[in-house]
Amino acid sequence: MPGRLLPRLPRSLQGRLLAGLLGTVVAVWLAAAAATWLDMRHELDELLDSHLAQAAALLVVQTAGDIGEDARTPDAPQLHRYGPRVAFQVWHEGRLARRSANAPDAPMVTAAALASARPERDDDHSHDQDDKARRSDHKDPDHAERRPAPAGVGLGFHTARFNGADWRVFVARGAEQDVRVYVGEQQDTRDDILLALVRGMLWPMALALPLLALAIWWAVRRGTVPLRLLGRTLAARDPQALAPVLVPGAPAEMQPMLDALNRLFDRITAMVAAERRFTADAAHELRTPIAAIRTQAQVALAQTDASARDHALRATLAGCDRATRLVDQLLTLSRLEAGAAPASAQLDLGALARRVVAELAPRAIDQGQTLGLDAAAGCMVHGNDTLVAVLLRNLVDNALRYSPAGAELRVVVARGDGQVRLQVDDGGPGLVEADLARLGERFFRVLGSGQDGSGLGWSIVRRIAAAQGATVVVARSATLGGLAVTVQWPAA
Amino acid sequence: MRILLAEDDTLLGDGLRAGLRLAGFQVDWVHDGLAAERELRAQPYAAAVLDLGLPLMDGLDVLASVRRAGVTLPVLVLTARDAVPDRIKGLDTGADDYVVKPVDLDELAARLRALVRRAHGQPQEVLQVQDVQLDPAARTVQRAGQPVALSTREFDLLQALVLNAGRVLSREQLEQHLYSWGQEVDSNAVEVHIHHLRKKLGAALIQTVRGVGYLLPRKSPA
Repeated sequence: MPGRLLPRLPRSLQGRLLAGLLGTVVAVWLAAAAATWLDMRHELDELLDSHLAQAAALLVVQTAGDIGEDARTPDAPQLHRYGPRVAFQVWHEGRLARRSANAPDAPMVTAAALASARPERDDDHSHDQDDKARRSDHKDPDHAERRPAPAGVGLGFHTARFNGADWRVFVARGAEQDVRVYVGEQQDTRDDILLALVRGMLWPMALALPLLALAIWWAVRRGTVPLRLLGRTLAARDPQALAPVLVPGAPAEMQPMLDALNRLFDRITAMVAAERRFTADAAHELRTPIAAIRTQAQVALAQTDASARDHALRATLAGCDRATRLVDQLLTLSRLEAGAAPASAQLDLGALARRVVAELAPRAIDQGQTLGLDAAAGCMVHGNDTLVAVLLRNLVDNALRYSPAGAELRVVVARGDGQVRLQVDDGGPGLVEADLARLGERFFRVLGSGQDGSGLGWSIVRRIAAAQGATVVVARSATLGGLAVTVQWPAA
Repeated sequence: MRILLAEDDTLLGDGLRAGLRLAGFQVDWVHDGLAAERELRAQPYAAAVLDLGLPLMDGLDVLASVRRAGVTLPVLVLTARDAVPDRIKGLDTGADDYVVKPVDLDELAARLRALVRRAHGQPQEVLQVQDVQLDPAARTVQRAGQPVALSTREFDLLQALVLNAGRVLSREQLEQHLYSWGQEVDSNAVEVHIHHLRKKLGAALIQTVRGVGYLLPRKSPA
């Protein structure tokens, strides 16, 4: 459940690695100790149990000779400091014949316990005594071993409690039924030996752990140097700086991050450059008409010649018109770029085209141009009528602007193949391929056109079309020889 | 003074040409960068007003190109690009002045006069050679403190000679100083104007170098 674990992890990568590595090392070490404990306990039990059994057998054999003697008193010498941890009893005909000093007077394992408990036996070391005790009618020796001994019998290993400690007791019986030998060993002894063994394993571990922690800390710290370097590099950067981030000696794992970061910087650089260019272009486009107005006005003031003054004043007015148009276009463009998608609805493109053409027809007549509309009925598209009207006006306005006097212009609205098509053809000079490709770049305008357009109209047309899901194609007009602009919508 | 105006905007170009003519300049107007470069290399203009956002060839490229070709005439860059890096780049490329649109016509004319004056090593507003004083801004001339009335052409001719004092100017060079495009040049116009100047200012002032041209000596011959 990493979701629950993760918040508890240290915040620093270094801390996490340190905790993870140390935790793993300690866990592995402890597991090894536990495995050793289990394994050693098994081996120790086997070894000591066999010693107990052997001691009991020796006692049985030895006792067989001098049962007759009345030897009730303990006479086992204490030869070893572990002596008190080992005890024995020899019972003969229900009487305690011999015992060690630390053995109790009562049988180490009571008759009841012997009767109820199945002797604890290890499968891999059966004893002669047990075999002898087995009833002759038992056919299956293994099965017989596991059976509880008859009352008063119960040979083999038992766990008993006397002298305030737990004892491991082996019960054996002599060849004669009346001799029974108990040999006991304190359970603690085994635990002590095991503990000593495991302690021997764990001590070096405990000592090594701080050293290991130090080594891991150092290694992790070294390993995360490039990360810290990156952090410092980024922190020290000028917030305006867009140069690629370089981290010398960055490891392969960091490279994708650095690459992604640098790609981001590249994109921002391109965006900033585009914005700067737009600002510069816009400054040029806005300042130039204002400069023209100012200059012409100043000339008009200074002119003494009446016709020259009239010329300058008319030029001043023309400059004002141009500046107004430019401001309108910039505002339209900025509203479009703000991305506020205006409400769109079903609209009749034919009706809209009629409205726009009617609006611009007087200008065409003034310029001696023929403007005609050919609209099929029921050309419905989905869009915003204000924006589509702006698109139409820009297209027709461009056609009027760039066509000479006497030229013919035709607006066609038609439908077919699930599409609604708006086409504006003009009889102007058209465009060469290179200019067709650049059309729509902001502030691009065709040289030598004799018109002071800003080139914003095309940007507006393209933007509106894109926002309305329409496509724009510009080509040479097949019918009128000038420019043909086709805008296609999916029919609504 | 004949100057080249490179400006692609028709309204602004038209206004600048009219305004600079009112200020006494002869103005040739080109609409694109290639034409500007061609004219700057070929014609002896006193100065040039150069827009940077020119079609076909950027104004800065024009400037760099003509400077590489050894054209030293004063160039005033008139542009909408007002960012400081643009100004620095313009001046470093070889512009003598950098003016951001819109500009006052009188200021533009004054800057042009100052550029021309400095280009001829004349730091003062009023040019003086021998005892002749010529004020380019007021378009007035004095001889030994006495005002002398000159026609436009006579003034322009005298100004060319004063600015180039100590150097011989050929008749063709003087004609190029006097006339902008589309103006008819009489075959003996320069001789006629020199004759009038000598009558008004004294015969000894302007000297003829036979077969070469005319010269206004810096110091009066002893």
